[in-house]
Amino acid sequence: MTLEITNLTGGYSGIPVIKNVNLTVEKGQALGLIGLNGAGKSTTIKHLLGLLRPQKGTITLDGVDLAKQPAQFKKKVAYIPETPVIYPELTLKEHIELTMLAYDLGEDSWDKANELLTMFRLQEKLDWLPVHFSKGMQQKVMIVCAFLTKAELLVIDEPFTGLDPLAVANFIDLIKQACAEGREVLMTTHVLADAQQAIKTYAILNQGTIEFVGSLPEIRAHYGLKETDSFDKLYQVLYQEESRDQHA
Amino acid sequence: MRELAKKRLSANFKQSTKYLALVFNDFFVLALIFIFGAVMFWYAKIMKVLPAGKWYYPLILAGILWIASLPGKLVTLFQEADRQFLFTQDDAVKDYLDEMRGYSRLLPAILIGITAAILYPFASLKVGLNGSNYLFLVLALYWGKMAEQQVVSQEFTFDHRVKRASWLARGLTLAMLLAALYLIPQIAGIVILIPVAASFFLKKRGEKRQGQVFDWQYAIDYETERKDLVYTAFSLFTDVREKRVNIRRRKYLDFLLPSLKKETANSFLFRRSLLRNPEYLNLLARMTAFIVLISLMIADWTWTVPIAFLILYLTVWQLLPLAENYDRNIMYRVYPIDQAKKGQDLSRVLSWALFLQAIVVAAVWLIALPKEKILSVGLLLLWTLLLAKVYLPYKTKEVEKRARYGKKSGRRK
Repeated sequence: MTLEITNLTGGYSGIPVIKNVNLTVEKGQALGLIGLNGAGKSTTIKHLLGLLRPQKGTITLDGVDLAKQPAQFKKKVAYIPETPVIYPELTLKEHIELTMLAYDLGEDSWDKANELLTMFRLQEKLDWLPVHFSKGMQQKVMIVCAFLTKAELLVIDEPFTGLDPLAVANFIDLIKQACAEGREVLMTTHVLADAQQAIKTYAILNQGTIEFVGSLPEIRAHYGLKETDSFDKLYQVLYQEESRDQHA
Repeated sequence: MRELAKKRLSANFKQSTKYLALVFNDFFVLALIFIFGAVMFWYAKIMKVLPAGKWYYPLILAGILWIASLPGKLVTLFQEADRQFLFTQDDAVKDYLDEMRGYSRLLPAILIGITAAILYPFASLKVGLNGSNYLFLVLALYWGKMAEQQVVSQEFTFDHRVKRASWLARGLTLAMLLAALYLIPQIAGIVILIPVAASFFLKKRGEKRQGQVFDWQYAIDYETERKDLVYTAFSLFTDVREKRVNIRRRKYLDFLLPSLKKETANSFLFRRSLLRNPEYLNLLARMTAFIVLISLMIADWTWTVPIAFLILYLTVWQLLPLAENYDRNIMYRVYPIDQAKKGQDLSRVLSWALFLQAIVVAAVWLIALPKEKILSVGLLLLWTLLLAKVYLPYKTKEVEKRARYGKKSGRRK
């Protein structure tokens, strides 16, 4: 089971935001997609979810081509958006039921659902409308629904915003568990301190192209960061590169 | 702050004018003239035969005038961002609200003026009020409304007393009208002194309360509620983009929902939308109530049955946009939900709604129709079946086409 993005070029209104993106996420791997604001992370994810049509390139998951077999592809993917997207008419319980219906999960999935709900302290709120929850609580609903599916690929966009430290710790455990089960994770984030706990490989997206893929020590070496430098310093380096390119 | 208030009032006026032009379109004005003419004709006829000086006439007069004074809340036009950007402007809020009060007087003036003019023949001929007396009484009512808005403008504090204060003002106004008409009918207009004195007192009170902490969130919530009311009124006649939809849980309707095993993801969503989204549920309830009302009023099956058929058709036709309810929800597009079967699922849910409506109507007909009950109910079921099995599948096929080939192939641009 492998996610393969090959020569992906795409954007909005015919203007490419990402250019010739090539990425592979192996079975059991968690890959971090990082870059400055506007680098093309969300655009890449939108293509991966079938929300944008690529101008060029292919996306396949375990041999299933998104362009040719979108329905089968979607069954293999679960998504956690940066801003929680809640159905205003559905209760928390119904969000779980809808996930079960959409992903063809059996009634026995309630065991897993209850486990996740307890983990994120939502078990008492099953009959509530999550649209009235705080942002952090809504994000937990998104996490519960995504991890409830048996999707092979988890696409996670900036997940840490609004989550309390306990929820972050639980979330990281879930990612590790998913990888141990052989699922793939693609996550964008700026909160590298938290991400490092679950993600060992990162793809650096800069101005729409994948500039480098590697582990933390490899990234340090590639961008000339010292051992003592915080990983956040990478952003300063990327910003300097971007400014240099714009002036040139 | 006065400048900001003027700017917002101007924008609000433009927006209101736009919607009023849509509401009062040619057809509606024509219908309004027709209805108004009919009511006036009836009013003129009844004035000729109505005996004068009945004890309850002042009660009717005061009641109608008072009801006409109820609409017209204080317009504040506060916005969500004010909590952040005007947070330090507590001292200048009074100037802002003074501007707003000027604008807020317009609607009550129109409503009270028109109602008072219509009621004048009744007030003078049947209640026995002379012209100037009646005029001052109406002015007292209007001044009372202004005092109500004045007191509301002073209550946006952490005590949260706007509702209590406005209902107290309204109650006092009604009491004033009744007292004037029953106790001092010959000099009823003299009560104008009461709201004038109240306004003076409120002005002094406002000066004393200057410096109290202004509760921005409370004031913003008040304005949001007021605007929702206005948008709801406009939305009865036209589409209102700014209207916020307040979804409610409505647990008491859960018994209508079938078990999960009988649902697809689409039907699961559509059914809950229909029961919890007020836009759809109110439409369904309104149309059903309309059929029931018509049935009770006409009570003649030859008229009731075709009118009910027309309303049933209009109900499902107006519910068809439910298909697009989730089109902008990213998760709906990301989840592996069968978009191609959307139309089919929508047809199932709308048929279900149609049968619910038909059951209520059939029950009313069985009780209320004087003749041909069974025949009428039989025809109703036949029509419902026709709509559910022929019309809806045909209409929802278009939805399927749109889902499969994108919006361009659909009828709507």
